[in-house]
Amino acid sequence: MDKLLRNKKAIVIFMAPALILFTFILFIPICQSVYYSFCDYNALTPAKWVGLKNYQGLLGDKTLKIALKNSVFFLIYSCVTQLIMGLFLAALLTNIDKGRNLFKNIIYLPCVLSSAALGLLWMFIFSPKLGINQLLQKLGMEGPLWLMDTKGFIILPMWVIAFVALWQYVGQSMMLYMAQISGISKSLYEASYIDGCSKAKSFRYITLPLVRPMVATAMSLNAIGSLKFFDMIFNMTEGGPNHKTEVLATHLYQQGFKYFKYGYASAIGVLLLVLCLAVTLFINKVVKTEPYEM
Amino acid sequence: MKKKLIATLMSAMMIASVFTGCGASGGSSDSASSSDGSADGVQEITWMFWDDLDATQDLISLGYKENVERFNKDYEGQYHVNVVTTNLEEYYDKLNALVAAGETPDVFIVSPGPQLTDYVAPGIAAPLDDYLADGWKDTFTSDAVFTQQTYDGKIYAVPLNTAAACCFYNTEMFEKAGVEVPTNWDEMLDACDKLQSAGFTPITISAGTAWCLSMVAGYLCEAEGVDLSKLADGSASWEDGKLEAAATKLLDLSKYFQPTAAGDTNDVATANFYNEEAAILIQGSWAIGQINGENPEFESKCGVFQFPGVQRLIAKSDSLCMSSSTKSPEACAAFMKYFTDDTAQKYTAEVGGKIPVTKVEYDASAAPAQLAYVMDIFENAKGTFGFYNESMPTTETGSHFDDTMVSVFLGDMTPAEAATDMEEFYQANCR
Amino acid sequence: MKKLSVWKIIIYIFLVIMAVLYLAPLLWTFNVAFKTNKEIFTAPFALPQNPTMENFTFAWTAGKLGIATLNSFIVCVVTLLFSMIIGSMAAFGIARLRWKFSHLALVYFLTGMMIPVHCVLIPLFTRFAKVGLSNSLTGLVLPYLTFSLPITIFIMVGFFEGMPNELIESACIDGASIYQIFFKVCLPLGKTGLFVTGLMTFVGNWNELLLAMVFISDDMKKTLPVSLSKFVGPYNTNYSQMFAAIIIAIIPTIIVYCAFSNQIVDGLTAGAVKG
Repeated sequence: MDKLLRNKKAIVIFMAPALILFTFILFIPICQSVYYSFCDYNALTPAKWVGLKNYQGLLGDKTLKIALKNSVFFLIYSCVTQLIMGLFLAALLTNIDKGRNLFKNIIYLPCVLSSAALGLLWMFIFSPKLGINQLLQKLGMEGPLWLMDTKGFIILPMWVIAFVALWQYVGQSMMLYMAQISGISKSLYEASYIDGCSKAKSFRYITLPLVRPMVATAMSLNAIGSLKFFDMIFNMTEGGPNHKTEVLATHLYQQGFKYFKYGYASAIGVLLLVLCLAVTLFINKVVKTEPYEM
Repeated sequence: MKKKLIATLMSAMMIASVFTGCGASGGSSDSASSSDGSADGVQEITWMFWDDLDATQDLISLGYKENVERFNKDYEGQYHVNVVTTNLEEYYDKLNALVAAGETPDVFIVSPGPQLTDYVAPGIAAPLDDYLADGWKDTFTSDAVFTQQTYDGKIYAVPLNTAAACCFYNTEMFEKAGVEVPTNWDEMLDACDKLQSAGFTPITISAGTAWCLSMVAGYLCEAEGVDLSKLADGSASWEDGKLEAAATKLLDLSKYFQPTAAGDTNDVATANFYNEEAAILIQGSWAIGQINGENPEFESKCGVFQFPGVQRLIAKSDSLCMSSSTKSPEACAAFMKYFTDDTAQKYTAEVGGKIPVTKVEYDASAAPAQLAYVMDIFENAKGTFGFYNESMPTTETGSHFDDTMVSVFLGDMTPAEAATDMEEFYQANCR
Repeated sequence: MKKLSVWKIIIYIFLVIMAVLYLAPLLWTFNVAFKTNKEIFTAPFALPQNPTMENFTFAWTAGKLGIATLNSFIVCVVTLLFSMIIGSMAAFGIARLRWKFSHLALVYFLTGMMIPVHCVLIPLFTRFAKVGLSNSLTGLVLPYLTFSLPITIFIMVGFFEGMPNELIESACIDGASIYQIFFKVCLPLGKTGLFVTGLMTFVGNWNELLLAMVFISDDMKKTLPVSLSKFVGPYNTNYSQMFAAIIIAIIPTIIVYCAFSNQIVDGLTAGAVKG
């Protein structure tokens, strides 16, 4: 078997199409982008080498600090909540028989909708004139400025956006966990019930350890997704008021495409890349274990 | 089951490949016809614009669509223009990508100010003096309309129409509250006060869309005598107290904003006005079309006055540039002329509700009532100045000014802090 | 069992609340799509006074949604098929085949997932324009496919790694070639994962705006998200028409989604039965 799995020709055939595509369409442009991060480049005039100037600029950039703070908040929030809610929903749904598909489909539904459109929709809902504040007013309460409040370390709009993101994407984590849970042998559970385990206990001692590899996968996806998170913030607040809800991706966009500091934006991109790599490595070190033999 | 699945996948793939084949061949036949066309002497040019000409309900955009159709009809067999559209949000992304790829559209629209400078400085936009010299330039109201489009004595873009930022007001509410049109700052505050006591919301504005609030701040800075060119070259400082005074005035005025101003977007703020929920809207005159379109009965109740306490008017002109790399400059010039000929300029005034840039005579009775008021103000004003965010050294500086004003309004910064912040930003980025 | 039924009721109540939380905003979209702009601003929650289909007809004709749907469909289906095949092959190569750099290859693909599309937009577009791939659907399929590969590979590696060794061993003993092992043994077992990733790829590309906006200039080749953005004007937005267009745009997604989600359920139950 070992010989079969070490077959050079097979390795080439399996890997070549993906590697070729990836190298030409993604990797080379990424390298170009890294090169631009050392340049003064606005896409309109030829790039000019300026060395580390863009990276030095990162240090003194106030907006970048806010963006970094928000991104890290967003990263932690989405990793934790997606893990808890995703697992919880997956466990609930695998435990009911009637309506499982219905509820699963409903919860997964926003994942298939464009987050740009949903961002717009939620912007409507949280806008003071049109949305829930009008409903609250009818109940005699005064709603806060959901998307414009600027008080606190993590300002209210970030919590709102983080909530909406959870709302939209929890279905994805749920789906991944469900896929993994359904792969767990039924006989394991049956055996545990015979041994007198409660549902909660069997969840703790069977489900949790067995979905752990998927936790690493889903969490890495969440982490990367949340660091790159863009569409919804862009449509809900555009990073405002006064850059208070900026995250790395929106800051990158602003600098690169609104102000045409393409070189500087590339430097932010490199920072983002490094951050993503570090977080993924961390998650995989901490969470991932050898897969259990089922 | 598995075979079925594979079969469906395969057939789907076949269908897809047939479709893409169609698409590709369709595309190539297009280009084939165009190359055939050029053999017949038809010169194809592209025009890039920031609104979809079919889906739009913006009256000015619809007017541009007519210009394109007229041009293509009149020059059939000689020139043909193809329109590339995006929405405003992605417009410059796409334009820059096209420039970077060496596919600059032959004619493209830009806002004057730092954005135009971005295309003039690297030589992407061509100087237009030669084309304007044949009498075209004389059709414009005055040489002053080219001020923002002139660099080193050369004109790089042709203005199409002018919009001015004014105060629109609800005449009925003013009457009921017994308020006269304010002519200076104190009267303005007084008027707002009376409107408020009469139970009306005095002013509707959007702080959610930062440039709307910043427009007011721009007027207030003008009233305080802020000089942007001196600030840019460093001979004046933002911390000389003028901005602080202007920002303080903004805070005074903000007592009369609608309670939801902080979160309302531009669309909501304008809707508050035409739905008669607030007495005054401070907005560019492009809003006329939107106001009359959404609530036609409102036209007769809508008055316009100049922002009190200032002599000059904030004005803005959409402008067309020609690519310096175009193969058919004659066609481009001919096309651009269609935007400033009498038909187009008449439409601009009578339907679009914007101020024409040429000496065209239009039927004032056909134009929206508000346009006459705006024209009046425009003629009486002692000159114009650009939107503040479009008059600063870079686009980013302009946005920073907008954001700073929003922060002042939200109470996140004091006027003095705002002045310090602007000064720091200028020192770091602009001088 | 009696004791459980109380729990069941609580679970169902919870799920119903969740369902409301998920459906209410979408129903609100439906509501808005039948209104005029004026109504949206004055009475956002009320039912439309004179429900009008006008928004829909206008959106359909002016937004050219028909051709846009077709374009989106072509691009997404082609991308989906290729990414499933190419991606799972590479994932198998990484997870199961034994070679020195397999882990490095995985890291290499993962970097692709971490790059925001904005970073590579301009280099990519310049390159494509040079070889004549701009303004064509093929030029859109290629980057979509490439951007889909990392996530497909990432998830599928997880699935292939989780498969017991004995499966491959026994197939090996039966004399299967490596290709047979992949196509006949591993791929069918990874079906669940394939459908999940497929769905994610399809949906991601279906909603992608920026690349499509920059790469495609020709009106007849625009995809759905680009057509939706047509309703955003320079100074104001046609909310009612835009929401009507959004409704039109999401209906095919929901249909495709339902078709696929049943497949996923099949996959899930198949897995359960096997266990």
